[in-house]
Amino acid sequence: MTAEEPGMAQQVMAADDLFPATRKTPLPGGYMGRILRVNLSTENFEVLPLPEEPLLKKLWGGQALALYILLRELAADAQPLGPDAKVVMMTGPLTATGLTPGGTKMCAVFLSPITGYTLGRAATSGFWPMALRAAGYDGLILEGVARRPSYLYIDEERVELRDASPVWGLGTRDTENRLRELVGHRDARVACIGPAGEHVVPAAMLVNDYNHNAAHGLGALFGSKKLKAIVARGTRRPPLHDKKALIDAGRRWRKVLEPTVYTVQQRLKSPGYGGLWGAITRNNWRSTVITDEARGFDQNRVTLRPCFQCQRLCPWDVEIGEGPHKGKGGHFNAGSEWMDTFYNLGLKGNDVLQLTERINDLGIECGHFANAAGLAFEAWEKGLLQADRTQGLVLQWGNHASVERLLEQCARREGWLGNLLAEGVEPLAKALGGDAPQWAVHTKGGSPAQHDWRPRISDMLDNLTGSGGMKSQGGGSYAVSPRDLANTEQWGPLDPALPEGWARSQMLAEQLKQACGLMGCCWFALIDINAEDALNSMMDSLNATTGWNMTLEDARAAGHRSMILQSIFGAQHGWRAEHDWKHVGPRFLEPVPDGKYQGFTIARWLPDIVQEYYRLSGRHELSGRPLPGTLERLGLEEFAAWAEREARP
Amino acid sequence: MNAPLERTPYPVARLLDGQARAILFDAAKCIGCRQCVEACKDWNDLPRGDTGRIGGTTWLTIEPPVMEGQSSVWGRNSCMHCQFPLCAAVCPVEAITKYEEGPVVIDPARCIGCGFCIEACPWQVIGRNRAGGKARKCTLCQDRLAGGVSPFCVSACPAGALEFGLLEEVRAQARQRAAANGATVYGGNEAGGTQVLHVLNRTPAEHGLAAVAAQRFPPHRVGLGAILRMLFGASGGLSGKWRALGNALRKPWRLKYRYWPGRGG
Ligand code: SF4
Ligand code: SF4
Ligand code: SF4
Ligand code: SF4
Repeated sequence: MTAEEPGMAQQVMAADDLFPATRKTPLPGGYMGRILRVNLSTENFEVLPLPEEPLLKKLWGGQALALYILLRELAADAQPLGPDAKVVMMTGPLTATGLTPGGTKMCAVFLSPITGYTLGRAATSGFWPMALRAAGYDGLILEGVARRPSYLYIDEERVELRDASPVWGLGTRDTENRLRELVGHRDARVACIGPAGEHVVPAAMLVNDYNHNAAHGLGALFGSKKLKAIVARGTRRPPLHDKKALIDAGRRWRKVLEPTVYTVQQRLKSPGYGGLWGAITRNNWRSTVITDEARGFDQNRVTLRPCFQCQRLCPWDVEIGEGPHKGKGGHFNAGSEWMDTFYNLGLKGNDVLQLTERINDLGIECGHFANAAGLAFEAWEKGLLQADRTQGLVLQWGNHASVERLLEQCARREGWLGNLLAEGVEPLAKALGGDAPQWAVHTKGGSPAQHDWRPRISDMLDNLTGSGGMKSQGGGSYAVSPRDLANTEQWGPLDPALPEGWARSQMLAEQLKQACGLMGCCWFALIDINAEDALNSMMDSLNATTGWNMTLEDARAAGHRSMILQSIFGAQHGWRAEHDWKHVGPRFLEPVPDGKYQGFTIARWLPDIVQEYYRLSGRHELSGRPLPGTLERLGLEEFAAWAEREARP
Repeated sequence: MNAPLERTPYPVARLLDGQARAILFDAAKCIGCRQCVEACKDWNDLPRGDTGRIGGTTWLTIEPPVMEGQSSVWGRNSCMHCQFPLCAAVCPVEAITKYEEGPVVIDPARCIGCGFCIEACPWQVIGRNRAGGKARKCTLCQDRLAGGVSPFCVSACPAGALEFGLLEEVRAQARQRAAANGATVYGGNEAGGTQVLHVLNRTPAEHGLAAVAAQRFPPHRVGLGAILRMLFGASGGLSGKWRALGNALRKPWRLKYRYWPGRGG
């Protein structure tokens, strides 16, 4: 490889002490050792060496390492969608080893274009993160703006910014197929934006491998940078410290997962995740009762379509077997927010699956659409919105044709309503006027993960404190302390109807799930943190891969660092902990309107329970900034300028 | 069913207990995830990528070569571990051993890269190393078998589409499943019987499998090009050519598998 050759990534010498030109410490197992910096404006590509081992031991990879780099790199005055905006994408040491479940993760961080003042974090699974590592890179730094619509092609040393005009305007499915043809490699993996990203819809997603989405506005950043897609392929694999031990730990991890493996039968009858506790979002969060939402699903042909070497079998494909959409296909990911999205607009059955395929093809985060469109439908019902502003569409609950058309309008910002749906629920509520702001559901201007969390204390905490204003950083409802942590944590079972203990449970779950993500693994492969060997098999996998000797306490500390860095980033952009309970769409905090949880609300314990969560995690309960002692304990003293100085009230 | 061979035209050896084993692939259960394909690469430290076709770094493919989830019919394509492996019979240096438990294994130290086996294999499942030009293929995870564990691809399958066991039991299981689902068994008779049995719900061609006659050592004549390449090409070096010549002189009866096909078995 010569430096003059165009399209060849160049190794740079000592760009920065963060990326050492000559390593002073050995590169641990599990890392490719290289980060690719892509300047879209200058079409300059640089291969940066991975930071030294002490930093890797603190942050591992994923969100924490990506954010550490972003904190160093992002200009203080950069606008979320401006030319100075940057995206840092990072895998972790267990990504693509192939020998553990869930080793599939990439996490991207950036300033959220949805909230404008918190961290945007977009994580995805599937195959693309593996392909990035096969190309030889742990992560990417994207900066600048391409001169024309472009896509990035990465095939090991060959890195090219290519003309995207053949795929500009196409949906995510066609884009993926077409780009694979264009690069001439059947095994190339594609992460791309659809029309929503091209039109810089704040909640546009990056979609990869048909079934997977990196949300929280990453697609908008891609659109603003005129970057349609990143196509990756290669033949490399992360070096392993002790392959035999990793195979053994991976097998144990897989055993832990066995009781939670998804089946076709479940997909043929389940109304989604909310079925677990018996509440879904209907008619803009005004009903929670599950009726015949899953009707017709049993007529479908379902294929499980697992991520790279993961045995939990979350993602799935459908061929609809009945009704007006018979014969149509769809590709879905693990969650089911998209089901609640369309229940929220009064739809049911296979209408929901067909519309989900449309929203993923257009590349819009479903919750964002669910809550903006839900508000529009309610405004229509209450006479605040008429056909003159909907381009003639009738916004009656359950009107499939209107919803399908609205999706297109939102993705392309067509008309008064389409543009406001794109902008999000807060601007729409304001434009509608009247009582509309009272009917809105949002957290910090973004959308919570679209499930009716209102009956669940811990999940509410998780969503309220989520940085993107949207999906959580990885908590969950855990009523008892994990078995694998029995010698340090012993509590529960917690009462689901009382606040005591949930802040602590949430913090612990967040630390552990963050840790799982930092390894480059998927939280869905750590679904039951209480199961015996769940945490130990995960730690043994990390140690076998890297050659480290990390304990579960180290894992909690690593996860904790990630949480703290996120607060620091937020603080730098104007976020305060208070926003978590003050900047919330009122409907999200209303008592559950009906069903078995009728009347329940976490609002009566606000802000105390959120403040308790911040106190427990060593952050100030109003500002959300870390206390000096917290930084010291976690070895993050370099961020002392962002610590809370004032005495606690 | 098969009369014993008078003399075997390849080395035969024992790994464990001498009991024949087999892989069972049930197409009805396969979801086309290709975890087996990547697992094979993981166990054998083969580079990622090129998962669409058999080659020196991909010893197993799942057919058709479309993205995961993009077909409703899948097939498994790799070495069948023939009970009468033609690849081994045509090898001029006897680099391929048939183990009693099943594995047909190429010894890379002995292979001279002539490519005769690649041409002769009825399933076209032998690839070539890019560096060195040596023949490479599935080993039935002989190194795992020796320790009493299943092939890695089998243990990786998340859908229960792959199983491994004693040949007799696998055969009975395959027949039973075929009868219950109106499916057919493939691999039981092809090329005189193999140690990878498939339960298929469509025709072999629809599962991406070749039609192979039931006879042992299906007729194959090594092409002139391959002969010339062996004689005058660089691969194998002089010592390799010398070994091939010595073998032909010591065991001239082996030549019939290469040059007078149909006389074998
Ligand atoms: S399938 Fe081909 S490579 Fe495998 S044993 Fe038979 S002849 Fe040899
Ligand atoms: S390439 Fe030639 S020498 Fe090598 S195993 Fe095949 S037949 Fe034998
Ligand atoms: S048996 Fe072993 S070598 Fe053969 S395909 Fe399976 S994993 Fe690969
Ligand atoms: S791992 Fe199993 S289900 Fe997946 S492609 Fe292989 S045989 Fe089919």
